[in-house]
Amino acid sequence: MRLLKNIVTLTMLLMMWASNLLPAQGVLQTKQVLVPAGSFHAVLPEVAGEPIQVDSFYMNETVVTNEQFAEFLKTNPSWRRSEIPPVFTNKGYLREWKSDLEPNYEDVGTNRPVTRVSWFAANAYCDAQGGRLPTLNEWEYSAQLLGITDKAAMDKFSSSLISWYSGIDAQNLAEVGTTGIVTTKGVKDQFGLVMEWVEDFKPIIADELSLDCGTVGRMNTLNSLYNYAASIRYITRMSFNPKITTGMVGFRCAYDKSVDTFQNEHGETL
Amino acid sequence: MKVSKLILPMVFGLLFSGLAIAQTAEYTLDGKIFGMPEAEVFTEDYDGPPVVGEYVTMLPNLKPLDYEGNKHHEVRIDIIVQEIEVAEGVRYQAWTFGGTVPGPVLHVREGDRVTFYMKNRSDEEVTITEPSKGGSPFMKQVAENPYQKNKSAIMPMPHSMDFHAGTVAKDDKWRTIGPGETIKFDWIANYPGSYIYHCGTPSVLMHTSMGQHGVVVVTPKEGYNTGYEVDHEYVIVQSEYYLTKGSGDLYTYDFEAAFSNNPSHVVFNGHQTILHDQPLKANAGERVRFHVSNNGPSGTSSFHVIGGIFDRVWLEGHPFNEMRGMQTVLLGASNSATIDMIIPEEGKYVLVDHEFVDAEKGATGTLKAGPKKN
Repeated sequence: MRLLKNIVTLTMLLMMWASNLLPAQGVLQTKQVLVPAGSFHAVLPEVAGEPIQVDSFYMNETVVTNEQFAEFLKTNPSWRRSEIPPVFTNKGYLREWKSDLEPNYEDVGTNRPVTRVSWFAANAYCDAQGGRLPTLNEWEYSAQLLGITDKAAMDKFSSSLISWYSGIDAQNLAEVGTTGIVTTKGVKDQFGLVMEWVEDFKPIIADELSLDCGTVGRMNTLNSLYNYAASIRYITRMSFNPKITTGMVGFRCAYDKSVDTFQNEHGETL
Repeated sequence: MKVSKLILPMVFGLLFSGLAIAQTAEYTLDGKIFGMPEAEVFTEDYDGPPVVGEYVTMLPNLKPLDYEGNKHHEVRIDIIVQEIEVAEGVRYQAWTFGGTVPGPVLHVREGDRVTFYMKNRSDEEVTITEPSKGGSPFMKQVAENPYQKNKSAIMPMPHSMDFHAGTVAKDDKWRTIGPGETIKFDWIANYPGSYIYHCGTPSVLMHTSMGQHGVVVVTPKEGYNTGYEVDHEYVIVQSEYYLTKGSGDLYTYDFEAAFSNNPSHVVFNGHQTILHDQPLKANAGERVRFHVSNNGPSGTSSFHVIGGIFDRVWLEGHPFNEMRGMQTVLLGASNSATIDMIIPEEGKYVLVDHEFVDAEKGATGTLKAGPKKN
């Protein structure tokens, strides 16, 4: 059983490498926001008392939209619905689109998050932008920079976040940038819109945690509602495989500070 | 390439994480069979009825076992999202097994083998209120009597299945699968009784509160040692909802209520008034058997029938656990009992959780008794 899982993981890694070999060219990008270095306490087991250190990086202000993904597909035909190799996606890839290059704006509206894209496709998109998916720790570190210091206010926010995880309305997604949830650094919609792919969404520890009824409790040693919500998010994300395409998962890209194409340290659009 | 940075440590991780845990081969102990084949997770094009199996019914019905000895069942209960009514004016988008809350009732005999299929169809619209071909009695019953007024919906989430009636390794059979994936595994009904099933994906409190639970009834090999036949068998499931008004017309999961054990509704068979709108039926002088399960997720049930005394009670439904003359049966979360009761005279009997706060949140129902037959 374990052996099989490891083979699957290994295969996934090799495919991840292979998926980057498909030709991909960049398109217009979303505003990039500088997330300065810092540290945070994750809900995954860590060295006791040692917070996780995160280097500074850049991340898109908002998640990738259908329009942006369609632009990407124009110059990257191998990732179109009719062309994408089945090893890189389950059935249902861009299922709601009218055709290879036409998102279904009549039904979903414009400026909505692209969803029903596999982790492989999300990788390819970000690669074409000169970026990558944010790592699990980068994404989580950024997400908790909410600037809410009052415990009661934080509990209230976390409660509504937990309820949101039980009711993501995949058929009626709002426009990107409209949730009103913005980190102190200016990253928008990490909560309240869609869940997001990250580079290492299924860390090795996922196996050891043996996801079950006790997992939420074990992740929540501090009895914090924010951590309770986070544990639901970690567990949901860890339960995916990279070929999955669902209506509740989108993505945004991250960029190393040192990327040459990155012209403005203050986060202006390219 | 960026990716190579990631691959090296992960490959080392794989090498250190232990490479082989062998699947336990099938064996027998105390007449019980253990050691099921490894579960399979795969994708399939299946878009047929979400509930398949000859002995799978909608509450409160139980399909009689019209076969001798043991049988190998092929059962499918897919995960689908349905907007349902749980009380008049209260609708929410439920995460369900098969389309109703609670899910379908599976009836097997002690020693039966079940090959179980479950596709996570939470990301596709599935209609269960129209007649379908090749389904189970459940599909027919729900199409004829959709008392939760089911409407298809989409809410993609990872889910899993935990049959309390099965004895297996949870990290294999009860594995979580993502939207679009299917899991297949075998289990054997080694112990008689009524057993809940539920989604075991964390947060279990959220997944079960959202509607993912049901019951398997395992009839003892030799039946119950009573010397009589019962006239009616009904399955009653008690469970809680934790709902609050959402921004639109629908209700949504109320985490604070769930976390503080404060349900908005406590119900029998998934709907606050269903057992009054559609009372159970019997006649004076008849024996009725109730298979009662408290599916929680967090509350207890003090199950009582107003005007009756439970003639015989088998705790958890196991024939060895027989009690006599009980007024009330206390059921913790995921406890069950099989209860035989004599219907004394024509009239109305009210099923109730005698923890009155629960009764007044909805945990009541009616059994309507007709005249005594000769």
